[in-house]
Amino acid sequence: MFITQISVYLENVRGTLRAMTKVLAENDIDIMALSIADTTNFGIVRLIIRGASIDKAVNSLKSAGFIVKKSDVICVGVRNIPGALDEVLEIIEKTDISIEYMYSFNYNLNGDALFVLRLSDNEKTIELFKERNIRMYSQEEINSL
Amino acid sequence: MKSSQREHRIYDPKMECMNRGELRELQSKHLRETVRLEYDNVPLYRARMDARGIKPQDIKSVEDLRLLPFTEKTDLRDEFPFGLMAAPKSEIIRIQGSSGTTGKPIVAGYTQNDVDIWTDMVARAITAAGGGKDDIIQIAYGYGLFTGGLGAHQGATKVGAMVLPMSSGNTPRQILMMRELGVTMLCCTPSYAAHLGETIQEMGIKPEELKLKSGVFGAEPWSEEMRTHLEEVLGIDACDIYGLTEIAGPGVAFECLEKKGMHVNEDHVIVEIIDPVTEEPLPYGESGELVFTTITKTGMPMLRYRTHDICRLDASPCQCGRTHVRMQRLTGRTDDMLVIRGVNVFPSQIESVLVGIDGVAPHYMLVVDRVKSTDKLEVQVELTDAMFSDTVAEIERLRDDIQQKIKSVVGIGAKIKLVAPKSIPRSEGKAKRIIDNRSI
Repeated sequence: MFITQISVYLENVRGTLRAMTKVLAENDIDIMALSIADTTNFGIVRLIIRGASIDKAVNSLKSAGFIVKKSDVICVGVRNIPGALDEVLEIIEKTDISIEYMYSFNYNLNGDALFVLRLSDNEKTIELFKERNIRMYSQEEINSL
Repeated sequence: MKSSQREHRIYDPKMECMNRGELRELQSKHLRETVRLEYDNVPLYRARMDARGIKPQDIKSVEDLRLLPFTEKTDLRDEFPFGLMAAPKSEIIRIQGSSGTTGKPIVAGYTQNDVDIWTDMVARAITAAGGGKDDIIQIAYGYGLFTGGLGAHQGATKVGAMVLPMSSGNTPRQILMMRELGVTMLCCTPSYAAHLGETIQEMGIKPEELKLKSGVFGAEPWSEEMRTHLEEVLGIDACDIYGLTEIAGPGVAFECLEKKGMHVNEDHVIVEIIDPVTEEPLPYGESGELVFTTITKTGMPMLRYRTHDICRLDASPCQCGRTHVRMQRLTGRTDDMLVIRGVNVFPSQIESVLVGIDGVAPHYMLVVDRVKSTDKLEVQVELTDAMFSDTVAEIERLRDDIQQKIKSVVGIGAKIKLVAPKSIPRSEGKAKRIIDNRSI
């Protein structure tokens, strides 16, 4: 029940983000979710794109000189009402699992707001969410967006 | 700037002003003793002399120096720690150290005799810069294995001055003590002196509130422009001092108030200039690599130690009365050593750290800048797919790990910049590893 995230290392130099989006644009890749972690010296851009475009995106970015990594993350659907995200996070908080990072999608699905979660223990979280009937989305479901 | 108003002081006129014929005799005598000491006690020298078919008795005078083998910094690393010592360990009373060319440090062992010689050499330097028992001398070189702090301390103590062992760092406190105690002389690296000068100005302290009259600055190369700057901002005579741990430490050569090159303590060392390629000695006045042979040390004497520093020797008489030849300013290196905040840094040291870290590419660049008179080293390392993590914490951990390892090997802090793959220019010949933006 993972989806694939692409992360890209960017030096904190003017123009690097655009250089990356240019590669994606030239390869006709739709960005479904994006977050940027920025520090004083570097940034990490994390992207979710459709499954069919993943290899193309990775290869084109690599050949343009970027460092790219694929990783498994969880896509969780949260009802689009106040307090819904808090309920999900409460489940995690009661364990020893910690959230490495999270960000939201630019899309809704079945009325759910979509969030990307990366945790200290992804597998354990999936089991926990299954027990608690928290809706998670697969790569296939995301691809249909 | 003030030199014209002051007479030249000489610590040991008998030795420092000896006529050159007598000096040659003295050097030859001590050279014979040193060669015998090395041959009898240091296996490396014995093996090298045997390989050349030379016996100690073949070395009769300074003219025979060229028959002797050279010593390289790598020999000190290979024979680390005690292999090059000519005295039994029980006679060694001090260890000082310096960075080697790779991860392994180098050390030098001193007998009481050697510490005394070294102390005298620095005492001569301080005296030549106008220092004496009426002075209050602030030592702002680092104390420790690095020879700067203790070397200056011993010399300043020997001339009978009031010594203020501040060590390096904590600039506001340095300035407070300088002002409150009425410090008259300063010993530190020229770049730190400049930093002190700038901070003094920023603090709104006027030069007349200070009693500084001269400074003895060394451990890194500097220029005439820097001298002019230091003399202006600190209101002093700024004198250069040269040395290296392998030979003794600071004081191997020093400037008098004429400021026209550093007198080499020729009663303790024989200095040569060689062509670094052919290894043949060059006459005075020609530019080449500086080579020293110690002739009075007993702990770890050195035969023909190659400094890789490039300069010229000037044998013309000096107005101060000293007869010892003068080294002109260093004009470069025959290798890729950098001097950063007084510390010797070799790109190979950085490389040895990087190859030890998983997933790090062997492509790196050292960028050196001088910001507010303080040297800053940035190490650019190419990130690889293997090193890259999607979390900030992981990348910062990697960066901190590299930084900490470089600090422990090289001894100075560096800023680590992880750059994109293939962003460091590749070269087809010798890799370019250094961008030095400093103007010294």
